[in-house]
Amino acid sequence: MNESPHGSSAITRLVESFHRLPGIGPKSAQRLAYHVLRAPEEEARALAEALLDVKQRAVLCGACQQISDTDPCAVCDDSRRDHTVICVVEEPLDLVAIERTNGYHGLYHVLHGAISPADGVGPEDLKISELLARLRRNEGDDSDDVTEVIVATNPNLEGEATAMYLARLLEPLGVQVTRLARGLPAGADLEYVDNVTLERALAFRQSVE
Amino acid sequence: MPARVPRVTKTEAVVLKRRRFGDSDRIVTLLTPARGKLDAIAKGALRPRSKLAGHLEPMTHVEVVLAHGRTLGIVTQAQTIEPFAALRDDLERLSAGLYLLELADRFTVEEAEADAAYVLLLTALLRLLRGDGQQLVVRSFELALLEATGFRPEWQRCAACRAEVAADGLVWSPLAGGLLCERCRESHPESERIDVSVVKVLRLIQDAPYEEAARVRLNQRVAAGMEGVMHDLVRAMAERDLGSARFLAAVRHTRPGNDVGDDSSSEDPASLNGDVTYTPQEPQGASGQTGS
Repeated sequence: MNESPHGSSAITRLVESFHRLPGIGPKSAQRLAYHVLRAPEEEARALAEALLDVKQRAVLCGACQQISDTDPCAVCDDSRRDHTVICVVEEPLDLVAIERTNGYHGLYHVLHGAISPADGVGPEDLKISELLARLRRNEGDDSDDVTEVIVATNPNLEGEATAMYLARLLEPLGVQVTRLARGLPAGADLEYVDNVTLERALAFRQSVE
Repeated sequence: MPARVPRVTKTEAVVLKRRRFGDSDRIVTLLTPARGKLDAIAKGALRPRSKLAGHLEPMTHVEVVLAHGRTLGIVTQAQTIEPFAALRDDLERLSAGLYLLELADRFTVEEAEADAAYVLLLTALLRLLRGDGQQLVVRSFELALLEATGFRPEWQRCAACRAEVAADGLVWSPLAGGLLCERCRESHPESERIDVSVVKVLRLIQDAPYEEAARVRLNQRVAAGMEGVMHDLVRAMAERDLGSARFLAAVRHTRPGNDVGDDSSSEDPASLNGDVTYTPQEPQGASGQTGS
């Protein structure tokens, strides 16, 4: 009897590899593996090369900790950007979301997570010491002195804990620490909005232009 | 004829934690009075316009309607009762609140009545919200929760043989769950000395009414001693480290002065007239709840 349920140990290995990916169940893993099997060889080769490439070429930018092909990354290396403002985000994809707005032209710092004690993630597991070191290095250089740190962590319990903890650490460094505004999302129904969001939206209301 | 299992249940709960589930859903862990701890899916909670997400943040007292799914319940409606918003704006109180949540999570089990733990957790969160001293709120919760879950520590007699313990040179062991007499300490190599003042305050918090314990002014040495003892005890009983205990220490390290003692002026006995104790409410009508 064949030990491999798919008749080929190569397919079984590929199914198992896909199954290890987040959000991929056994059925999806099989579908993906059989798709690769039926696809042209060039497509399979491109996928394999992309997988290897991401492991071999992607590095963390030594300044902002974003995943990049180069160190420093293109954002940190861009002299047209405002080097006096740093926006701190939890994850690399949060940086991408802010860049998509085309409304921010400063630098970034990626923490790679948020403080979540219940999940065993403490301040020491995040790129906080790298941010402090970056700001301290900056202190002696008048031309690029960071004047503001925008804490753009998520507006949830973990994000708030991270933001307050960061603000406490940054206070002695003499930089202005700001937080993203909180309020109603576009298209929301007031009836269903939670108390905390509605309270903050009222507290930070704005004049109608 | 067997009783018909209702398809939906309405209950109040405290949200203990949550995790991502797929691209747009979350699994929330709720502590309920009647069913204890349970996981339920909040569909669409990761979407920006979710009607559930804001009500299902950890450390929120909430009323939920749960539909019975094949494996997990599904949150179909949620309405915040108390968001504990002020705790989220204060790093010290937030870190203490996170510790309370993790303790409640560790010392309760799925689908088993947890009325005592539920009332203790809500009472402790309400006390923190009111501004009571954190040391008292947290120690009081730890001791009461350990007792409610069958781990009551022994601060009067020997925890191993129930013999009297000498008043001076007190020794305790987290594994034994309290003080040890001279004879029993030999079989507990991990036992260590404990400050008599620490034991006296722990006895008071464990056995006296909350308001009476609140009249005690703690100095830093006793407060730090109590915290160290209780964290060791909780770690031994839970059989694991608590991440939130480490975060409490990290937060304290960033605080100007770095003291362990209570900095809250509400330790003043005058401000503790009329303690808050959570009393479960009768379920409200379904109107005004948030649909999924």
